[in-house]
Order: sequence, then C-alpha cells, then structure tokens
Amino acid sequence: MGKLLDQVPIIVQLLISGVLLGGLYALVAFGLSLIYGVVRILNFAHGTLLSVAGIAASMIFAKWGLNPVLIAALLVPVFFVFGWLMYVVLLQPLRRRNAAQFTVGTVLVTVGMLLILSDLTSYVAGATTKNIQLPFHAFIFGDVIVSSNQLYILIGIVVMTAILHVFLTRTWFGRAIRAVTQDPVGAQICGIRSHAIHASTVGVGVAIVAIAGVLYVLNFPVDPYSGFELTVKAFTIIILGGIGNLVGALLAGIFLGVAEALTGYFWASDWAPAVSIVLLLVILVVFPKGVLSRGRA
Amino acid sequence: MSAPSTNSHTSNGGALLEGCLFALFVVAMALVPWFGGAYLTTVTFSFLIAYIVAQSWDWLHGEAGYVNLGHYIYFGIGAYVFALANVRGVPVALAFVAAALFTGFVGAVISFPLFRLKGDYFAFATLALLPLCDLLAANMVPITRGTDGIPLPPSTAIVWGIDVKYLSYFVALAASVAAFAISAVISRNRFGFALKAMRNDEEAAEVVGIRIFPAKLKVMALSAAAAAIAGGCYAWSFRYIDPNTVFGLSVALLPVAMALLGGTGLLWGPLIGAIVLSAATQMLLTQIDKLQFTIIGLAILLIGRFMPGGLLRAAFFRRLPLLGALGAEHHERHAGNHVATAAGHDEDLPLPRRAPERSRTLLEVKGVTMAFGGNVAVNNVSLTVKEGEIIGLIGPNGSGKTTLFNCLSKVYEPSAGDIVFDGASLKGFRRDSVSHAGVGRTYQIPRPFGDLTVQENIAMPLMFRGAGVSLTRSAALAEAVAFARFAGLGDKLGARADSLNLQQRKALEFARALACRPKLLLVDEVASGLTAGEVKRFVEHIRTVRDTYGMSVIWVEHIFSALSQCVDRLVVLEQGSVIADGPLDAVLKDERVLTTYFGSAKVEKA
Repeated sequence: MGKLLDQVPIIVQLLISGVLLGGLYALVAFGLSLIYGVVRILNFAHGTLLSVAGIAASMIFAKWGLNPVLIAALLVPVFFVFGWLMYVVLLQPLRRRNAAQFTVGTVLVTVGMLLILSDLTSYVAGATTKNIQLPFHAFIFGDVIVSSNQLYILIGIVVMTAILHVFLTRTWFGRAIRAVTQDPVGAQICGIRSHAIHASTVGVGVAIVAIAGVLYVLNFPVDPYSGFELTVKAFTIIILGGIGNLVGALLAGIFLGVAEALTGYFWASDWAPAVSIVLLLVILVVFPKGVLSRGRA
Repeated sequence: MSAPSTNSHTSNGGALLEGCLFALFVVAMALVPWFGGAYLTTVTFSFLIAYIVAQSWDWLHGEAGYVNLGHYIYFGIGAYVFALANVRGVPVALAFVAAALFTGFVGAVISFPLFRLKGDYFAFATLALLPLCDLLAANMVPITRGTDGIPLPPSTAIVWGIDVKYLSYFVALAASVAAFAISAVISRNRFGFALKAMRNDEEAAEVVGIRIFPAKLKVMALSAAAAAIAGGCYAWSFRYIDPNTVFGLSVALLPVAMALLGGTGLLWGPLIGAIVLSAATQMLLTQIDKLQFTIIGLAILLIGRFMPGGLLRAAFFRRLPLLGALGAEHHERHAGNHVATAAGHDEDLPLPRRAPERSRTLLEVKGVTMAFGGNVAVNNVSLTVKEGEIIGLIGPNGSGKTTLFNCLSKVYEPSAGDIVFDGASLKGFRRDSVSHAGVGRTYQIPRPFGDLTVQENIAMPLMFRGAGVSLTRSAALAEAVAFARFAGLGDKLGARADSLNLQQRKALEFARALACRPKLLLVDEVASGLTAGEVKRFVEHIRTVRDTYGMSVIWVEHIFSALSQCVDRLVVLEQGSVIADGPLDAVLKDERVLTTYFGSAKVEKA
C-alpha cells in the first residue's frame, strides 16, 4: 500500500502529460474528422502533415528563433493553401468516379502523399527527431512538477478548442460545415454550395494540424516517419468520439493519451504505440455497429 | 421452355489465346535463371514475389470489393514463420506449410473484427495492422529477435540437386502459377459469384440466400496463405528478415499499387501491373540513390489520381489487337454464356407446380414491433397469411410497410414480437436462412448486382439455396433463363444489370425473388411507373405464381387499381399499426381507412 502511495506523484505527473498528449491527438483527430465528415475522404497523410509542421517549426525556430506563436501564424496559411490545393488538384477530380473507384483513388492519393511527405522531409531536414527547446520554467505543486511548455500546450489546446467551437457554431462557414457533415444533399438543397465548402474544409483541417504540430514539438519530439502512427491514433479517436464531435474527440483523445502514458509506465514504453491499434480493434469487436453508426448518422 | 445451350467457355478462341500467352510467360520466367544472369534472376524473383502478393490482394478487392491495405502483414508473418522454422532446422517444405497455415489462421481470426467495417474504414483499420505487426515484431524480442532481425543459416548449397537460390525462384514461380490459376477459377466459380454479389450489395446478397461472412473469411484466409508463401520465398532466398523489410509502410503498398495499375478485378490486371511497376521501379531505383520513396509514393499517388480502372481498361489498351481482349470485363468475358432469347413472355417457371393448400397458415406475425431509438416504425403488428393468399398491404408513406418487409426478411431484427413462418419461429434466423426457408422479396428501389448480367443476377439465388438444393453454376445459369423470360427480360440476358432502365430493374427484382423459390413472396411497389398494360400483365403474373406454383404474396402497392384486381385481403397500416384487415369491400367501407388513406370519406362517397 505504501509503495502505491509513493507512486501517486509519478502517476499524477503521467496523467498530466497523458492529458496534454491526448489533447494534441484530439486536435489532429478533429482535423481528420472535419475533413472526413464533409468530403468523405480519409486523409492518410494527416498525421504526417503534423510531422512536417513540427519539423518545419523546429527548423524555423532553430534558424531565426521566432516565437512559436508567430511560427504557427506563418504555418497556418501555408498549410491551408496546401490542403486546399491537395483537394482541388488531386482529390476533387476523383469524384467523377463510381464509389468503389473513388475510395481506392483517394486512398492511393493520400497514401502516396504520405510517402512523399515523409521522404521529402527526411531528405530536407534529416531523419532525426526534432523539437523546440524553449527556456524552461517549472511550476511545482507539492511533488508534482509542471513545465512552462506543458502550460503553453494546455493553453494552446484550450484556445484551439474554444476557437473551433465558436467557428463551428457561430460562423456561417462553420454551420455550413456541420450541415454538409450531417446531410450533404440536404445542405445543397438549402443553398450551400457543397463543392465550395469541400476545398476550404480540407484547408481548415490541414491548418489545424499545423497548429497542433507546433504545439506538439514544444514537448514531444517528432521525426519524418512518426506521422502515420498519429494518423492511426486520430482514426481511433474518431471511431471512439464520433465524426464531427468536438467534445467526443477531446474526451477520446485524452483517454488515449492517458492510456498510453500509463501503459508506458506500468508495462514498457515500447508498447505504448500499440495501445491505440489494439484499442481500435477491441472497439470494433465490442461495438460492432454502435460507436461507428452513431458517428456516421 | 427453350433449351439454352450454356457453353461454359467464353469464346474458346479467347481462352486458348490467354492460355498460350500465360504458358509463354511461364516458360520465359522459367528460363531466366539459366540465361538471365544473377542480377536479372534476383529482379525477376522479386517481381514474382510481388505478383503473388498483388494477385492475392486482388482476390479480396477485385472479387469481393474490400480494400485491404494491410495485406502485406501476411507476407511478413509468413516470412517470420518460415524464418523461425528454418532457423530451428525444420525442413523447408514443412516450413512453407507452417507459414501458410499459421498465416491463413491469422487471416481468419482477424476477419472477425475487420469485416464489421466497410469502405475506407476497412481500408484504414487494415492499414493500421502494419504498424501493429511492425511493433510486435520489434518488441517480442525473445521470439523475433526484435529489430536485429533473423539471419537464416547459410544455404546448404544443393537441395534436390538444385542450388537453393534457384530452388526458391522456382517455388516462387510455381506459387505465381498457382495464384494465377486460383484467380482464373475464382473469377467464374460459385464461390467467386458469392464474392461478386457481395461487392455489389451485401444486403441483397444475403437476401437471395448467400451467407456472406464465411465467404469473406475464406477469401481472407486464402489470400493470407498465398501472401505467406511469398513471404516464405522471400526469407528463404534473401536469408535475412527484420521488421522493417517485411512490415514497412512503403514496401507494403507497392503490391496494392501494382494490382490497381494493371486493373483490379481482371484476371491479367495484377500480373500486367506487377510487370510494369516492377520494371519501372527497378529502372528508377538503380538510377537514383536519393528520394527513392518519394518516387514510389509519387507512383502510387499518380496511379490513384489517373488510373481508376488500370492499364488494361484504358482505351488505348482495349484497342490493341489480341491483347485488348485481356481487359474484357466479367460480363463481356462471359457473354458466350448468354443465349439471347426473343423478347416476350414465357409462363413456365422451373418450379414445382402445386395447388396451394388454402386452409393452411403459412405466416403468422405476432405482435411485431420495430423501434429505431424512440421512433416506432412498426407497432405491435399481428397478421396471418394463409397458403395461396394474396394480401394487399397499403398505407400512407411512412406507415411502416417496407419496415415490416424488412422484419419479415430479417433485414431488421424486430425489437419485440415473433414471426412464425411455415410452422417455425424465425427467431435467430439470418437473412440467408430466411431466404432458404422460403421468403423471397423485392426492393422498392431495385437493388440488382450492378456489374453482373441479368442472367447471373437471377442465377445467384439458384446457386445458393443451401446444401443439397443449390444448383451448380452452369445449371443455375441455364435455369435463370426461364425466370428472365417469365419477367419479360428474355432479350436482356447478357446485359449488365446497371444498364437496365427502372422498369427492367423492377422486372429483374421480381425474377430474382422468384428464383429464391419462395413460399411467400414479398413484393414492394413493383407496379409504380408501369403502363396500364404492363400492370395488367404483372397482376396476371401474381395470379400465376399463386395458382400454378402455390405461393402466397404480400404486395405493397400504391396503385390501388392493380391491387383490387387480385388481392384476397387488404391490410392497412397507419403509423406502424394495423388499422384494418379484411376483404376488399369491407376495408373500403371503413371510415378510418377512407380518411387516412384516401384522404376524405366524403369525397369517396360523392
């Protein structure tokens, strides 16, 4: 019993980092589910874009020492345009195909993009892990230490979630996105030009990843090939939390982040990445239709 | 009944050409180790391995319609099992058997969670298996030796009088030939037809009597075992494996790209795609030492963007003399099966003739309720159908008519109540077993198997009637002709179902439902959109199936004049409940029916 008590501060520490990591996962997942909800395309390159953003941010930081907020402000428009172009040039033309060929086409295009992005990034930046080393302040609460970086990430996640919530519920564009997610045909009948919404939504989804990437490298290292793992996690979160469900994604993300942190501590950190995949398979067995169909409805 | 001569081969000339072409290919491959030199042999060996993986991937995709992006894990698992067995001194042949069996078993087991998913969700979940296996291989150090990988013991030079290096080449060649042969068989046998029905419409496949999950599991296990053989060949020949070489994301997707580049679902697609992409990457990779994966990624991206049907379906390829025939779609390939008969009707069906036993109860619906969340679509409905009865089921839109049909055919499991059919409760029956028990149905919006021909659509239920009652493929195709003629589709036998117009699709629905040899036929708005003459003929059809073949019929229809010509009884649904049930005259005098269904009682009386 006493032994377990000794572990409490460590576990609290783990919970904090798990929650933060999970919050970042949720941001990645939310971009993915935004895109999937509106254009019905699973972007396999989604997590890889986070790696790219993180590595770009760390390189800009290393070179010019810019404030990470400024770096994010620089990256967001670039990523928005990238997402927009990716949709217009590569994905939109696939819509003319039948359903089966559309699925295969989008899978190949985004998987091809994933391979290209990782390889190009590793060519430009090297295959090593990168992060941003900000001056470190520690806030000490009893036996628990919270670093300034962790605080920044927490603020980032809260602010992003709030902005997204306001965006989706208060703006015309956000409402249009929700309408298209729920019923594409109905939305079109009501005068929403679905096709115009599509490209911008992909842009927004990718831009969110840019911000998540900058936040991510503040505390966690990334390398060009770590992206796909994140995509898997984001997908698990979507299945758990539901398509287009901001709160659901956040809760599912935190659940996953904490589960990984605890697995890493109580078992072995090598196995932490397996948590999301195993969780995914377990969910599929336990909720054969439930979680998914509710998310899709 | 006209006797159709369903010759089982396409145009025999085409099959002969393809046979010769493949023989030529095999001979050319077999000569490579003797005349090609070490480098070319290695390249060709890698190509053969990739072809086996691509081809086995396409069994699941081309035939059954599932995008399994994690197919390569079977290659990796096979390689690991083979290597581990080999290291422990297990004979090579036995190691191959172990690899195939174990991997096939893995494929069967993960079918259970995976096939709960469809479309891009399935694709994603399968892709997630790659990093999982990579992780397992890297972390289960005591078994797999982790990231150090497994070096196989140096070759014992000569096995069966041949250098081991060449022996693995010939095993790969033999496995390639087997993969091609299996594809040729699956593309036209009954199992293949089950898969083709599934890829078009799983629910409709079940409703015509196909038990789909075992079919999916079988094709998954088969493709897993084939890929495992390829993995075994790889480990045997290169004598070293590690997690990254057999589970890496970039190597894993090349075979998928190959199958798609060539043309998925076509017998020659994966082979041509593997030849082209192997040659292309080989040429590129020898020229370039940087950004190799960018190039592979670019190739995959461009194939996805510009090659929806693959090379073989491209217009320029189809125009080539002789070779163009390799791109023929399934329905074109088997055009020889279809004997177009003259348009018009034929009243004979290959069903047992029997007079209905009018006093016997066939169907008893006891208090069936179907609720979707809070929305009760069918509310405590009870209803009895006697043998040989024709029941008209009417009610306003949304009154639960189609939902009731869905409960009867077990598309939905009723939330409460019981359905007794032919003396047995349907509790616990699957869609296919209800179909076998004798419930045939049509869909209001027709759901044909779009990329199959009319004849194949109708043959489908005949092929899947359960043990002992199912017909062989050729017998089913032959028998389907009569059903098609009965429904007035005699001149459309070889047409793709998705090329039919709405009326023809409805006729096809009807013919396919009859081919289920039902005792109870559920007809959902077949007459809407038909001309008066066509409606009259359809009414005659309904009478015929009752009088000559003893079927009972429940007919949902808004065209009241059609119903009034043949029904014995009218059942009226409103908001999920039965508000009237009785002979035509009695129901038409019911005030409530008149106000809810016909609008106003006064208008009707006036």
